[in-house]
Amino acid sequence: MSPQEPYTESRLTTIGNRQLEIGNLQSTPPLGQRLFPNKEWMLLIVLAAECIVFSVTGSNFLTAGNAFEVTRLAVELGLLALALTPVIITGGVDLSVGSMMGLSAVVLGSLWRDAHWPMPVAIAAALILGAVGGGLNALMIARLNFPPLIVTLGTFSLFRGVAEGLTRGIDNYSGFSSSFLFLGQGYVGGLIPAQLFVLLVAIAGWTWWLHRTPVGRSLYAIGYSAEGARYAGIPVGRRLGSVYLLSGLSSSLAAVIYVAHIGQAKSDAGTGYELMAITAVVLGGASIFGGRGTVLGTVLGLFAIVILQNGLRLNSQPAELAGILTGALLIGTILADRLSSRARAQAHIQNGSEETQVKNSQVAILSAVILLGALIVAGSNWYLVGSLRHGSSGGSAGSAGQPAGGAHKTVIAMMPKAKGDPYFISCRQGAEDAAKEMGVELLWDGPTDLDPAKQNEVIEAWITIGVDVIAVSVENEVAVSTVLHKAREKGIKVVTWDADAQKDARDFFINQATPQGIGYTLTDEASRILNNKGEFAIITASLSAANQNEWIKHIKARLAEKYPDIKLVAIQPSDGDRDRAFAETQTILKVYPKVKLIMAIAAPAVPGAAEAVKQSGRADVKVTGLSLPNMCKPYVHDGIIESIVLWNTLDLGYLTVYASRALSGGQLKRGDQNVAAGRLGRIEVQNDEVRLGAPFIFNKTNIDGFNF
Amino acid sequence: MKWGRHKQEISAAGALAALLVILAAASPSFFSPGNLRDLALNNAATLIVAIGMTMVILAGEIDISVGSQFAVCSIASGWLATIGVPILLLLPSVVVMGAALGAVNGLFTGMLRLPSIIVTLAMMVTLREGLRWTTQGAWVQNLPANFQWLGLGQNAGQWLIVVLAVSVSASFAWALRKLGAGRAIYATGSDAEAARLAGIEPRRVVLGVFVLMGALSGLAALLNAVRFSVVPGNPGIGLELKAIAAVVVGGTAITGGRGTVAGTLIGVALLGTIGTALTFLGINPFWEKAIQGAIILAALVSDTAFGQLERLQIADFRLPIERRK
Repeated sequence: MSPQEPYTESRLTTIGNRQLEIGNLQSTPPLGQRLFPNKEWMLLIVLAAECIVFSVTGSNFLTAGNAFEVTRLAVELGLLALALTPVIITGGVDLSVGSMMGLSAVVLGSLWRDAHWPMPVAIAAALILGAVGGGLNALMIARLNFPPLIVTLGTFSLFRGVAEGLTRGIDNYSGFSSSFLFLGQGYVGGLIPAQLFVLLVAIAGWTWWLHRTPVGRSLYAIGYSAEGARYAGIPVGRRLGSVYLLSGLSSSLAAVIYVAHIGQAKSDAGTGYELMAITAVVLGGASIFGGRGTVLGTVLGLFAIVILQNGLRLNSQPAELAGILTGALLIGTILADRLSSRARAQAHIQNGSEETQVKNSQVAILSAVILLGALIVAGSNWYLVGSLRHGSSGGSAGSAGQPAGGAHKTVIAMMPKAKGDPYFISCRQGAEDAAKEMGVELLWDGPTDLDPAKQNEVIEAWITIGVDVIAVSVENEVAVSTVLHKAREKGIKVVTWDADAQKDARDFFINQATPQGIGYTLTDEASRILNNKGEFAIITASLSAANQNEWIKHIKARLAEKYPDIKLVAIQPSDGDRDRAFAETQTILKVYPKVKLIMAIAAPAVPGAAEAVKQSGRADVKVTGLSLPNMCKPYVHDGIIESIVLWNTLDLGYLTVYASRALSGGQLKRGDQNVAAGRLGRIEVQNDEVRLGAPFIFNKTNIDGFNF
Repeated sequence: MKWGRHKQEISAAGALAALLVILAAASPSFFSPGNLRDLALNNAATLIVAIGMTMVILAGEIDISVGSQFAVCSIASGWLATIGVPILLLLPSVVVMGAALGAVNGLFTGMLRLPSIIVTLAMMVTLREGLRWTTQGAWVQNLPANFQWLGLGQNAGQWLIVVLAVSVSASFAWALRKLGAGRAIYATGSDAEAARLAGIEPRRVVLGVFVLMGALSGLAALLNAVRFSVVPGNPGIGLELKAIAAVVVGGTAITGGRGTVAGTLIGVALLGTIGTALTFLGINPFWEKAIQGAIILAALVSDTAFGQLERLQIADFRLPIERRK
């Protein structure tokens, strides 16, 4: 087949436009067209609209501090998007950039910590690794002529897989020197984030390369027609190769910045970044078919996304809305582009002057998208204000002890590790109850999936808003602590709950159970079910999940210390996915027929494992683990799940809000013996920890008493 | 000549055969009827989605929103069951719902001729985030007792799923080979302009494959959901990449116009067996992802091993959307 044929018609018109532009170039076309060949000015309107809407509705959006914070968040993504711009201009794509970040981060960390290489050398090695990985893509795409989508889909799995394999998913590297961390966390002149300069240099470099050198210009020719470019004497293979090579190099540079920003190197760095970067490039007017796109457009597209996310966060809008609006913006932009190019083709034929009309239609579509976003923001703010007024007037009777409640309502910002996790959803329920009782405003936001970088972003936004208390369930100790320090410096009270940060990064830790307590309770429970003898297997969350790995460590320690006759035969991942846990359990039951107990230590994995045991008909196998009562109830009553270990998550959320309020009101300070927590009575305080109590074992007899 | 046309399918089949031989030598219990049944059941949903994906890719398009469609349809099937929709109506309503989601993709790509990778990227994000926003990740619980296995009991239910998956594969394999509509998909994918001149409406073909893709996502979601008694809040993450990888490993050209359902079947079997096989062979699960990536790349390289590499056009990623009006 010859894939060029379908384009004949449209290419003629496009090339016609191009010729027109080239013809015009000699007589210097209007500035607007030279600056924005792909109508990137539309993005300027979007950006302006975003800024206007958010500065009116959000708190502290239009401040220098926030502006620089936004740019800090844009650096890693920007480096990827910039590198993807030439890739997409040549008509290709590179899906492996995010995975390459993970691999480079891990290699950087291990060379520095385990091989004791000096940091600059380790960085150089990571960059070389990026170039080698990019070179692999280049080899297969440019030399062997394989489709980029498939090659990079393969390396997307390969790079991430090698990163996970090298670290066994568990290792992560932290404790980097402060001079290295300055690259990602420091401020030049007290205000400008250090990594911004890297981005600026990258923007300048790519602009020069792509728009000012013959090599860069030849990429457009390749994107229009590789065959034609070859006939014109352009070494197509070599040029394509260099593009993918640079993309790999750029990804590893992004990884270095990411590690310095987060303070930790782990195999999950950069997960999902490839899609966001591609979105930014396409939003910036690059054609996915190749031949069109500018660095300026990519930068504008990048900031359109980042500012949208930041602005919605400052408006306390859920992160999901940012995704939905980005999707709408993406379709809106290409649709406007499509309609306008079709209309322009007609205009050329008629030799008419419908340009203005076309532009109007584009503006109309974009305005509609922006208006939609603005309406959602405004509507929900209005709703929020309404409900607050309602809440405070209703609550004032009950809370006579807070006379100043009308003047300033305490704002408690509370963050789970992942919003979609059923465990945190039930914590939120308790937190909302407490907030209602006390008449405080509760902001609840966080990453949708486990992602330490996202946690930082949301906390930064809360600092900018100026909330009273920040309460975080910490995904990554090192990563979050720097930003929590910053919050404390700004006078915001900081509480951690569920999982702790570094001790000096927070005022109090709401401790529901220590990893040791969980590990020991699970092991003791396993020994009870197995009658002190036999084999069992563990279904964990993902192989790189920090919590689970910590628990497994204590489980192993307890086994070695107390139960020599119990053997742990396998640890399999479930990725927090019920169906995957189901399949893994089926396999374990077949490969290890002597296993009499499955211990699943992620909330969705327990019902998955139980269903697998149930369908296998193996009445001699039991399930235990860490999960929520509601999703396990049927299996507990069937006798498949012997017991689950957990604390009352409703109470955890409830206690966190009460303790946060007490902390901001001065009723809770270091040295206190206990703190009042509404329906829970007085809760024990030890030093800087508020103790919820020991883990609780749910079984057939008591599980019906709980509903979460 | 005839074999040469299917060399990619053959090399994928060869890889699968090699894997099975290793398994037979190292761990014969892999071939127990129980394990084969479980493997078939666990991969049935992926297979159905991959068959839809085969058609989409044959037509020269791509759909990366299938995971999100799958999630929406899964939740919808549970939700419909809890509000009392009869079990018999569940299947048609979820399939129609999936088809409607697919039609949105189809309208944007087929009728408005926007690039499918962008449209479905936007759909993927919008559907997934929209679902999260509305359900807040909550699981659908307290389903009626006859939801699991559609009220047929475990044994009959398992057979029903396998039979449905097999008959869907068989009928699509037949339709793609023998029906005019099936050939029109190949024609559109290899050369839309030529197809148009031959009297085929490429825009309608593209719309059609996306609607079918959506319907099959809906079917897969339902068949997967009824294997359990609750529906989790966020299913189908990464399903799109799984399906695309299986289709490509099975020898379908990403540029469209070449590929078979049989190849996709082999691709699903190969990628779906790896994970279980590693456990049976006692290999650490940490390397699973790396091995999957290596298989995808090896499937590409094996093409050259067969000698005559067709000179694929450079920058093959382009999708033939920019057709004439």
